[in-house]
Amino acid sequence: MTLLKLALKSCWNRRASVLLTLFTIAISVMLLLSIERVRIDAKSSFSNTISGTDLIVGARTGDIQLLLSSVFRIGHSNNAVSWQSYQDIKKRRGVAWSIPISLGDSHKGYAVLGTDSSYFEYYRYAKKQALQFSSGRAFHNAKELVLGSEVAKKLGYHLGQNIVISHGMGNTSFHHHDDNPMTIVGILAPTGTPVDKTVHIPLIAIDAIHATNSKPRAITRNSNKQHEHGSHSGQDHEHGPHDLDNGSLNSEPSDLIGSPKQITAFLMGFDSPLYTLQVRRNINQYKAEPLLAIMPTVTLKELWDMLDIVEKILLLFSMVVVIISLLGMLTTLLATVSQRRRELAILRSVGARPWHIFSLLSFEAIIITLLGCVFGTLLFYAGLLTVTPMLQSQFGISLSLTPLSPYELTLLGVIMLSGTLMGLFPAARAYYYSLADGMSIKI
Amino acid sequence: MIEISDLIYTWQNHAHPTLQIKHLQVNDGEKVFLHGPSGSGKSTLLGLLTGTTPIQHGSVSVLGQSLAKLSGTKRDRFRADHIGTIFQNFNLLPYLSPLENVTLGCEFSPRRTKRACDERGQVVAQAHYLLNALGLDDNLLSRSVSELSIGQQQRVAAARAFIGQPEVIIADEPTSALDADTREAFIATLFGQAEKYQATVIFVSHDNSLSHLFDRKISLPSINEASQ
Repeated sequence: MTLLKLALKSCWNRRASVLLTLFTIAISVMLLLSIERVRIDAKSSFSNTISGTDLIVGARTGDIQLLLSSVFRIGHSNNAVSWQSYQDIKKRRGVAWSIPISLGDSHKGYAVLGTDSSYFEYYRYAKKQALQFSSGRAFHNAKELVLGSEVAKKLGYHLGQNIVISHGMGNTSFHHHDDNPMTIVGILAPTGTPVDKTVHIPLIAIDAIHATNSKPRAITRNSNKQHEHGSHSGQDHEHGPHDLDNGSLNSEPSDLIGSPKQITAFLMGFDSPLYTLQVRRNINQYKAEPLLAIMPTVTLKELWDMLDIVEKILLLFSMVVVIISLLGMLTTLLATVSQRRRELAILRSVGARPWHIFSLLSFEAIIITLLGCVFGTLLFYAGLLTVTPMLQSQFGISLSLTPLSPYELTLLGVIMLSGTLMGLFPAARAYYYSLADGMSIKI
Repeated sequence: MIEISDLIYTWQNHAHPTLQIKHLQVNDGEKVFLHGPSGSGKSTLLGLLTGTTPIQHGSVSVLGQSLAKLSGTKRDRFRADHIGTIFQNFNLLPYLSPLENVTLGCEFSPRRTKRACDERGQVVAQAHYLLNALGLDDNLLSRSVSELSIGQQQRVAAARAFIGQPEVIIADEPTSALDADTREAFIATLFGQAEKYQATVIFVSHDNSLSHLFDRKISLPSINEASQ
């Protein structure tokens, strides 16, 4: 029976108060770990989402709102950019490339993004990484679509499959037009960005979707086009599976754009930062319609700075909670020391040295803090498993279910150290009592 | 043998000494009744004898070892090896079983562990044997100590004092919580074990009615010059 065993038995004897203390520490540890994990993962997943894009242009709204809606698919902008303005601006001097995007529809909860082939060519994420196809290729006509990796995985879609994209947001689509299916021709490799959760379709198909919908004030002019595209794409549909078999060889790229009236936003890359600033200024003073151009890196930083205060406050609070929980342990242990003077005198009488008494009390603090950290970590992972899907779908923050990082281990180490140091107080008091009391049992 | 000479002890922040003993000798195997009302310096004397309190002045030697010459750690080790203690009441650690409370007596002393093993093979076996010898049934041994009566608790404490055959048993009012009948029975069992191991017994009490059972009675106020 070592001192450690004595300490464990003694703790178990006072299990009600010890378990409460332990639980408090566990919760505070869980809180701290969760906040730190969310903070760090959110930061990296935010800053990795877009890269290489110099300007994002949309209808006039808030900078952050435009960034969130165009890149993160969070919220949706009610206004749009007219196709004419897009055509006008993309011809400006210094524009290296541009990607039109049209958002607002969804397929089984996943955002549907209408664009053209430039998306697959120029879109960059993380450290200027281009989009890769894990299988298939980019769409070449109005009846083809490309899935983000997660969409394909979660919905169990595979290449060559025909799916129906219908108008509307949310899971329930208002219309199912089985007569207007699209073929999956490509699945993108995972990026860890909202691209994974996006269904990419040609811009022209957006019109097709809207045209089949009677409800919205959808662009009557385009319903005329529908016939044209209908016959056109019907033909392609027959060719669809064929195209896949033969690769993209005999798939003649056809019109992917159609004649949209408006798009949600567009991304631009420039030859030189000088043009970026110039064009940005021009766009923000654009006469034809109120537009807004943002530099994603700047806005990302703004967004992050805005969250920074919240994040720091959260961190502060969780640290205070940890400190309070450790102080709670200190209070409990200190209170028990005077109640345990008899116990200490008995141990002294059988030959325990004051140092043994000191260790015994220290062990208790260490055991409680250690178990608190262990249970806190378990709670943290349990919470992570529960919350991750929600965070991912609601806020686009993907949390990693990885083992504790060195930073997190350091946090736990600091808590362990603080707990151990806290334990020195009751231990020192017990040491003092055991010296002063000697053989006489007080109380 | 226990020998005290010219012992003076003054507690911190006290102007006058609490204990001042010119000479006291207790022979090996002797059973001494030390009578001391509260405030007579009883606890101080026990602290000095067992080595929990360092000696300031004079000398205390137990089994030929001068305690004044030993460091705190060595005194603790000496106590673990040679002295068994029984307190007034609440002698036991509530979180240990009666058996574990007895083996605790060997926990800090390899010497007593060895002796217990020499006698019965294992410390636990010796603890078991002593508990039986002191009149505790097996069915009591696995219970929580709080379920034991005070008399039973004191027997467990006595078993802990005796395990590993320490040469000196110091009992500090061990019977004060017992009724008259159990008191004498307890002392009889105590003596039975002490005689078996030839242990010296120093029994401290304020209750003179038990003194006739002992070899010798010493009145602490009469030898403590500080209280005169």
